[in-house]
Order: sequence, then C-alpha cells, then structure tokens
Amino acid sequence: MSINQILPFISTIVMLWFTVDVLRRFLVRRNPAFLFWGIGLAMFGAGSFAEAYLSLAWNKWIFFVWYLFGAALNAAWLGHGTLNLLVRKKWVYGVTAALVIGSLFAGYLMLQAMPKLDEAVFTTSKPISEQYGTKVLDAGETPPIGAQTFTTPYRGEEVTAVRGLLPLGTPVRLTTPFFNIYGLITLVGGAIYSAYLFWRKRVMPNRVIANVLIAAGALSIGFASTLTRLGYGQYLYLGELLAAILMFIGFRVAAKPQSEEVGVQNTVPASAD
Amino acid sequence: MSNHIRANNKSHIPSGSFLFEKFVPAALIVMGVITVGLILFAAGVLLGIIHF
Repeated sequence: MSINQILPFISTIVMLWFTVDVLRRFLVRRNPAFLFWGIGLAMFGAGSFAEAYLSLAWNKWIFFVWYLFGAALNAAWLGHGTLNLLVRKKWVYGVTAALVIGSLFAGYLMLQAMPKLDEAVFTTSKPISEQYGTKVLDAGETPPIGAQTFTTPYRGEEVTAVRGLLPLGTPVRLTTPFFNIYGLITLVGGAIYSAYLFWRKRVMPNRVIANVLIAAGALSIGFASTLTRLGYGQYLYLGELLAAILMFIGFRVAAKPQSEEVGVQNTVPASAD
Repeated sequence: MSNHIRANNKSHIPSGSFLFEKFVPAALIVMGVITVGLILFAAGVLLGIIHF
C-alpha cells in the first residue's frame, strides 16, 4: 500500500473518533450546533472512507457516497453548525430548511447521475478526485499524460474533453460550489470571527487558539481541494488528514473548561462551544 | 498566588505574549485573505469564468 492509500484510512479513524465525541456532546447539551457538526463530520468521515476504498477498488455506490458527502455536502453542514453557535435568530431555521432541502435535492441529482457514470474510465492508479469529472479542454490545451479524450457536441459547439466518471454537464456538479462556498464562509469565516472576538476582548485564550486551529484545518482541506482541481492531486489526502487533526485538536481545546467561561459564554460566540 | 487569581489569569489572554500579540493576528489576517481567495475561486468556477 502506498502512503496515498494509507492516509485516507487514518483520516477516517480520526473523523470517526471526532464524530463520536461531538455527537456525545450533543446528547449531553442538546445544542443543535453539535448535531450539525456531528452530521458534517460523519459526512467527512464517510467521504474519507470512500476515498480510501476507491484507491483500492471500484464500487459505484461508494462513489455516490464520496461525491455526495465527501465532495459536495460536508463543508456546508459543518459550517451550518458554526452558524448555529454564532447566531440564535429565527432566520437560521430558514437556512436549516434550505440546507436540508438543498442536500436532498443534491442527493436526488446524484441518483439521477448514477446510471450515466462512465465506469470504464476508473483506475486505482489515480486518486478519485483526479478522475471524477469530465473536463472540456480549451483550444490549444494538451490533455494530461495518460488521459482518455473524446470529441462531443456541447453547448452548441464541438469540444474535446478528458473522460471522467461523471458525464459532461451533470447537474449535480453545479450544486457543489454553492455548498462549498456556504461551508467556507460559515466554517472558516465563523472560526476567524470567533477567534477575533475572543482576542479583542482578551478572554479565553483557549478559544482563540481553538478557532485558529479550526479555521486552519478547514482551510487546509479547501486549499488541498483547489490544488487538486489545478492538477496537484497528490496533496489532497495529506490536506484531509491535516484538516481532521487540526479541527479535532481545535474542538478539544475549545471544549476544555476554563474559569470564568460561564459568565462570558453568553456574551461572546464561539465556533466550537 | 491564590487559586482564584491563578484561575483568573488562565481565562485571560496574557499580555506581552508573542503568540497572542503577533502570531494570532497575523494568522487571522492571512487566513481571512486565503478564505476570500478561495471564495472568489469557487465563485469563478460557479460563474464559468474559471474552467475545469
């Protein structure tokens, strides 16, 4: 087994531990933020496991799990947990409803895409993140070494594209940026904002550090995903493991009880309570 | 130092600390900039300005 096959398994174990920890906290405190975080972490863990599996063998339902939970939804659910910690307003219920409906719709679109998967293109020699999408080549652009290309009419013109598992123009792919932008703003933005508030008030140093770690962890996966899209997929698994470890440490540091916390807790929001 | 004073110090950011005076603000600014960059990148993909 190569290091790129081992890393997703380690990420899965860390995320499983993290998920259990957060959901246990939800059962004790009944704060919906922990439930959303727990669901997001479970999705992250499922995505990591699917990635690990797909580095060894093909299964189209494992691919379903990888794309829907690992690539599309998990950041949004994690970020929604942070939003619930920061904001206690009625409009958050509306956002929750939109997230649930949007996630179900993405699941429906993914189910629609399943019979159209180009399974013949799958190989265990490349990370799944480098082979899931069919990519149109720009004029003069050369395809990556070993890539299979084809010519097809697309949006009124004849284009050359690199074959991928999901066919060209699959609607589910259009939903992913919405979820990821929302997740990035709420998860990273929320953690940075919380860290800033604590830092400005000069209180709870543990939560300042915790939120910096959570933001850094979330950014490391965002950064690794962007690098993957730019053709540097070898950093994705390392980015995921780093994200899992940093966020877990951040969560544990934030949860560590400190004196005076009870008094300040109601006045200063935190992204990991 | 009594336990009470020690507890109070623990829940406040120590003054003159390099970690909190320099590193944390710098890290927050850098991460904020990276976040904005990633959001613009994702928006570019969504709007079809950046092709994949």
